[in-house]
Amino acid sequence: MRRALSANPGLRLLLCALLAVLVRPSCASVAPAPAGTRIVIFHSNDVHSKIDNFAKVAAIIDAERKSGADVFFFSAGDNFAGDPVIDQADPPGGPMMELLDRLGLDVLCLGNHEFDYGLEILRKFPARIPMVSANIEAPPDTLPALRPWVTLNTKAGIKIVVFGLIQIEPGNGLPSTHPEKIRGLRFSEPLAKALEMKELRSAGQVMIGLTHIGHEQDLLLAKQMPELDVIIGGHSHTRVDPAESVNGVLVAQAGGDNAFLGRIDLLIENGRVVEKKGRLIDLSQVRDEDETIKAMIAKFHQNPALARVIAKAPLEISGKHALGSLMTDAIRQVHGLDIAFHNNGGIRLNRLPQTITLHDVYTLDPFGNQIVEIVMTPAEIRSLIKNSWERKNDIDLQVSGMTYTVRTDGAYQIRDIRLNNPDGSPLAEDRTYKVGLSSFIASSYSFSHRDPGRSLYTTTADDLIRYLESGIDLGMYRDVRRAFSEKPPEAPRN
Amino acid sequence: MQIKVNGRTIEIFAGARVGDVLRKFSRAEWTLVRKRERIISDPYGHEVGLDGELNGGEELVTRARAKAEPRS
Repeated sequence: MRRALSANPGLRLLLCALLAVLVRPSCASVAPAPAGTRIVIFHSNDVHSKIDNFAKVAAIIDAERKSGADVFFFSAGDNFAGDPVIDQADPPGGPMMELLDRLGLDVLCLGNHEFDYGLEILRKFPARIPMVSANIEAPPDTLPALRPWVTLNTKAGIKIVVFGLIQIEPGNGLPSTHPEKIRGLRFSEPLAKALEMKELRSAGQVMIGLTHIGHEQDLLLAKQMPELDVIIGGHSHTRVDPAESVNGVLVAQAGGDNAFLGRIDLLIENGRVVEKKGRLIDLSQVRDEDETIKAMIAKFHQNPALARVIAKAPLEISGKHALGSLMTDAIRQVHGLDIAFHNNGGIRLNRLPQTITLHDVYTLDPFGNQIVEIVMTPAEIRSLIKNSWERKNDIDLQVSGMTYTVRTDGAYQIRDIRLNNPDGSPLAEDRTYKVGLSSFIASSYSFSHRDPGRSLYTTTADDLIRYLESGIDLGMYRDVRRAFSEKPPEAPRN
Repeated sequence: MQIKVNGRTIEIFAGARVGDVLRKFSRAEWTLVRKRERIISDPYGHEVGLDGELNGGEELVTRARAKAEPRS
């Protein structure tokens, strides 16, 4: 045949032309236009009650839905906790649930702060939205919407398997929220639990881990589980832009506070993902807004619950000493601590009116600092007070559960610090005390303490609201003072 | 728990957030990150928020914000 071809150029040309015709169909199969299914997944995480950008999110998602693609919206957890407009709504978190429903949220991975309002509130989440977390075991009826995973379907019948994971603390094996809020639930180690999800691979053409374990853990998950197509994460507020490929798994996270919206694009051909990419949309650069959602947000901002009266006092509570005593009493009483401190800089009003509303509390204490418990000796408490004094050569820390006196020389240098019980007796030097501080004091004041401490997962404002609502007699805060300074009288001038 | 910031180990209360650790590392650095003049990121260069939650043993790095990086 080779000899015949070389001997006959005409025949060779004819065969080439015939080959070209025969080959064309296979060339067409690798042509640029893919014949697969395009899936777009928008995702957010750690919104923390910041609702303002949801009108932009709605506009983006709606525009994509109109393009004809299969569009989904996932949340990787922690939608609650961070703004009194949402946190103090009736019910708490209600506006957030309503907005996520209107945005068409397809699946929610529970984050640790989803539990901050308690299970009763979490059960009010729209039943349409499934909650996923494979490493939570809930008794029947505790959280009916909770399941380890869900399967979502595209219009063409492609199945997307989505399982969830929530972080737990290594010390107590619980998510980072107040233990009272998760009573009755059992949690297991997320990465170990994820391995059990490998068998789900055959249940769908796409497999996604929707997690709330932090980006570092997501990277470990990707390394141990190449069966996954995508991990969409939360918890660490990490801006992963573009989404990164680790061990063949696309790993994404969209920062926090609703500043970015994540977008994942998948192309499915012959029953498997052949192309995947992810990026973040900077919502500050987006102009289009959904007018309906915008109007809902404006309505939610006029939260009538913030005008709710939570306590009445016989007189105004005024001055740093009285207000600080009230605030530290709240921390100590709510958590059953021995002593509590609060810094003057964290008291943002000069007086509370006789009729106290929620709005007043958030104006008095707007920072959202957590309460930290540290077990301290009297010597360690002195080192804290010493550092606080040296900041301004003045009383800076208000206190509950004890009183103290800083004695200085004429140049404000500390000579000694006396610590007394409320009855005037000195603190026992040979024992330790459970001390409550704001996270601001715990992290920015320099003082010795062998116990590193632990967050109690409430804020100073949360505790004050709870204390005021308990019906205590506010008359006791008239002229109260628990922190004193003494310096020797100036020598008479000649 | 222990968190490393720019290679230095910071011992801090369990449940601390990125902002708490950064404040303990350096008040000045915390102020610059709050003003968005500097960035705090994970070891892979991804920016993390000051409210970001941490697990013990993690590492953080601070650096100047490049002009092209979003400030929102």
